Amino acid sequence: MIKLTINQKKHQVDVDPDTPLLWVLRDTLGLVGTKYGCGVAQCGACVVHLNGEAVRSCVTKVSRAAGQKVVTIEGLAARADHPLQKAWLELDVAQCGYCQSGQIMSAAVLLKENKNPTDADIDAAMAGNICRCGTYLRIRDAIRLAAEMQRNPSKG
Amino acid sequence: MKQHPDNGTRTSLFMKIMTLLSAVIFITTAVTTVYSSENAISGGTEPQLLDSGPGPEKADRDSVASVEAFGKVYKVLMSPRCMNCHPAGDVPLQGDDSHLHTMLPKRGVDGKGVYAMKCSNCHQATNTPGLHTPPGNPKWHLPPADMKMVFEGRTPHQLAKQLVDPKQNGRKSMKKLLEHADDTLVLAGWNPGEGRTLPPMSHAEFKEAWTTWIKNGAYAPKP
Amino acid sequence: MTQQKTSITRRSFLKSSALAGGGLMISFTWLSAFSPADTKNAPDVNENWMEINGYIKITPDNIIKILNPNPEFGQNVMTSLPMIVAEELEADWQKVVVEMGPHDSVKLGPQFTGGSNSVRMYWKPLREAGAAARHVLMEAAAQTWGVPVEEVTTKAGMLYHERSGKSGTYGSFASKAAAIPIPKEVKLKEVKNFNVVRSSRKNVEGLKIVSGKPLFGLDYQQPGMLIAMIEHPPAFGMKLKSFDAAEALKLPGIKDVFSQKLYEDGFEQGGFDTRSFNDLLVVVGNTTWEVMKARKKLKVQWEPAGDTKDTMGGRGGKREVLVPGELESTDAQLRKMQEYAAKPAQQLRKDGDPETAFKNAAQVIERTYNAPFLAHNCLEPMNFFAHVTDEKALLVGPLQAPGWTEPTLSKVLNLPADKIEIRMTRMGGGFGRRAYGHYLTEAALISKKVKAPVKLVYTREDDMTYGIYRPMYTATYRAALDANKNLIAFHVKGGGIPEHAIHANRFPAGAVDNYLAEGWQIPSNITIGAFRAPRSNFNAAAEQSFLDELAEAMGKDPIDFRLDLLKRAKENPVGKNNEYDADRYAQVLKLVQEKSGWNKAENKKYSRGVAAYFCHNSYAAHVVDMVMRDGQPYVERVVSAIDCGIVINPDAATNMVQGAVVDGIGNALYGALTHKNGAAEQTNFYNYRMIRMHEAPQKIDVHFVQSDTDPTGLGEPPFPPVFGAVANALYQVAGKRFYQQPFSLQLNSLGVL
Repeated sequence: MIKLTINQKKHQVDVDPDTPLLWVLRDTLGLVGTKYGCGVAQCGACVVHLNGEAVRSCVTKVSRAAGQKVVTIEGLAARADHPLQKAWLELDVAQCGYCQSGQIMSAAVLLKENKNPTDADIDAAMAGNICRCGTYLRIRDAIRLAAEMQRNPSKG
Repeated sequence: MKQHPDNGTRTSLFMKIMTLLSAVIFITTAVTTVYSSENAISGGTEPQLLDSGPGPEKADRDSVASVEAFGKVYKVLMSPRCMNCHPAGDVPLQGDDSHLHTMLPKRGVDGKGVYAMKCSNCHQATNTPGLHTPPGNPKWHLPPADMKMVFEGRTPHQLAKQLVDPKQNGRKSMKKLLEHADDTLVLAGWNPGEGRTLPPMSHAEFKEAWTTWIKNGAYAPKP
Repeated sequence: MTQQKTSITRRSFLKSSALAGGGLMISFTWLSAFSPADTKNAPDVNENWMEINGYIKITPDNIIKILNPNPEFGQNVMTSLPMIVAEELEADWQKVVVEMGPHDSVKLGPQFTGGSNSVRMYWKPLREAGAAARHVLMEAAAQTWGVPVEEVTTKAGMLYHERSGKSGTYGSFASKAAAIPIPKEVKLKEVKNFNVVRSSRKNVEGLKIVSGKPLFGLDYQQPGMLIAMIEHPPAFGMKLKSFDAAEALKLPGIKDVFSQKLYEDGFEQGGFDTRSFNDLLVVVGNTTWEVMKARKKLKVQWEPAGDTKDTMGGRGGKREVLVPGELESTDAQLRKMQEYAAKPAQQLRKDGDPETAFKNAAQVIERTYNAPFLAHNCLEPMNFFAHVTDEKALLVGPLQAPGWTEPTLSKVLNLPADKIEIRMTRMGGGFGRRAYGHYLTEAALISKKVKAPVKLVYTREDDMTYGIYRPMYTATYRAALDANKNLIAFHVKGGGIPEHAIHANRFPAGAVDNYLAEGWQIPSNITIGAFRAPRSNFNAAAEQSFLDELAEAMGKDPIDFRLDLLKRAKENPVGKNNEYDADRYAQVLKLVQEKSGWNKAENKKYSRGVAAYFCHNSYAAHVVDMVMRDGQPYVERVVSAIDCGIVINPDAATNMVQGAVVDGIGNALYGALTHKNGAAEQTNFYNYRMIRMHEAPQKIDVHFVQSDTDPTGLGEPPFPPVFGAVANALYQVAGKRFYQQPFSLQLNSLGVL
């Protein structure tokens, strides 16, 4: 049994400790907001927060997450009202939408560590997330908008 | 496509100059059979080492053996397994062709990446199984921004001088340098994950060359 | 008001009826070729209220539910199609609830996502459905209030009688309206009175997307569901010989390993029944990871398949097609294409006397363009859920063309179509790939075999190496100039593996007196499929690069040169069947010329490339502004001009064009799928390069031609000309023409960069 804390909720899972966290989230716990895109840390669709870092859950063994704090897109904000989620909706970023939870989870680490990211900061933080539909420009805009909302909550 | 966001043009120009230079080096070494003492780093201009470990005694010095050993050391350090994480720019290299790391992770101040692109977000404590998957090590990182320890593009002479200069080698004394051969990230070069070529000699052979190079005076090959 | 006959009465009927529990529902029914049984009688109304899906549903508490008929893969039909209904219904968009419809070609129409057709084919039927619903609601109010229906007005889900001051919600009249017959004719709104259509509305699934709700096929789960994966041959031209699964079966969670034939010998394939491998090696287990691990323990022998035959059905009647067994390599394919290019080819169109014109030319310019296979790389890999029993089948997952898949399933499962239920999930991208439903059929057969609900999952590697690629193309363009540098003849000869890309009746056909188009093809066992603007995505790269080079040779500005040709095509068109409207084509060029400040001094800092193209009934032009950044060419800015008629949802349409531009830049620079001894050399994103955030432009300005013309396609048309505009900008930045895609490979060999 592996003990996990996901979105502040405790779970015990009976899986091979080598199982990637991604498949424990999706198959065992039914948290399917975290996506499978490549399985080899190339596309970023599977980003979750492990102790606040944007780990690629497809290559992160569940054993690494044991006893640590995991946050998935489902738990990013209690009412799905994280500034990034609001900005994503405000700018209608998504096309197919498949990559967007990973994009948002990556962007959340950026905004936590840099309240006012430059374009170069955004590129540096987000180059690990592929959007096959090509919504990169709107993702950039939404990150800027969310940063503004975060600095100035009345704008949200 | 090999891209170099930081200094692409500079690099290609640099590489051309290096090619020319290496030809010059070859000619120089071909006609010089005895290394002059000015090439010895631990000669008259012996650098100040941070901790006073046992530097080689003058009597133990053997510039020919030292330089010969460094030839081996250089081959290893310039192999993709070592050089890829000692890049000239702020983005690590990848693969046996040492292309820029896909998705351009940045060095960051501490060498551990930035924001959502920190090394350990993908690189686990151990190698991830499978081809083209992230190799792992608990300490996976680049040299920090204030001590970049660049290998990429360095000549044997430059690299040797750099390696023993505490201002450029991570403030390592000779003793620390000797121990560094068994550093976990150095050893990671010989456990690179599926499908990656190993450095051009065994770790034991490398360690012997490394030790020989340093113990015989850590001489640098002629420029 | 436009008085309009309900066109759907010809092929279908509109009906209204009481909704169980009160309320009104409108559905419109095609007498679809797919389901001849339904032409006999109108479906039983009461029974169908529970199941019908092509509808507008209004509850007494004034909730208006609109079903989206067409599969959603990011083109935003979940929002734009219901907007069309809401427009004519005069519903309050804020209170509309949208749901995805199930597969039901009788009640929901063709339900095909592809060919940039969603809005185009549903535009009129959905307007009529909305207008008819509004009409019966007005009748109900008029009867209740005892006033003439002409005096009843509607606004935002409310009914009004101005003189008496009476008003009521749609919901309060829904039950009564349900008993009122649908009129033979409905009035549609005039374009100028639109207030939902043409104004930007947010994606109705936005909140679900950003909060990680289950939406996609891969997210679908059922209790007791197993996971299946297929080990396919490592190369095209190979097949399963034997396997030893003893080790795999010992692993925890593994239920079964077996081989499964997809189509029986002689199975008549329809056009979208393409599959790369017929003998499947299937691993079934409890969880994805357990199955992935078990696959590594399989000991499999593969063998050359040799030449095989496929039986094709469909319109042309039954015929056999030879599939060559050769294990192909990209180098050999390129050589073979050169050989074929030198041989005589099929004539596709000829105007005037091109042979003589070329013979008498003062100058002939000839250039050859090549492009590789491309993988779609939808970010959600192929997958499908299936639960098949002896009596019925339930299938849930991402699919562009349920109407084409169902007949295949029916044959393969030996179940009547009405026992097959297909539910379409949101798709994590499609780009044409998910029009080919082999993975759904595979899932169904696996479920039938293991007698359990099963989700078939392709890994990224399975997905990328499976085939159904954009074909490998080549084309040689020739132009004849007279002594005054006038264009007197134009010749294109295109080929490909396994098809050529030539659209013989497209521009510049119609604008040149002497014109010849030819095509040839090389059969292959590497399977191909529609890929975002099939054929056009290569033509627009090759032809638009060639026109740019031609303009330069003729000493003309590239936009003016095209406009001159279009003027000719408009005033005195050459030949027949010219597919494009020269005016609309010219208009997007003029718009992009203006909006990009084409010859303005302040834009001299950019290396600029222009291209325009017509496909899928729409017109697109781009100006790509390139700079050198960190030693590499970088597209910093793009200005786009589009004519797709009425734009339903402008902000979402802008998003679509911006995405197409980014996709075009990425594929032009990096996209390539190559083969060695039949095996795909790219297997995942580490060696199939995808455009990433830092490579996307800073700005993409999108301008739509203001138009009252019925809407046409948008998913595909902006994509093809990006390739040409990028190539032309690269010429400006590098001083060298780019003929081989992907262009990034040539950049490496350029000394200047």
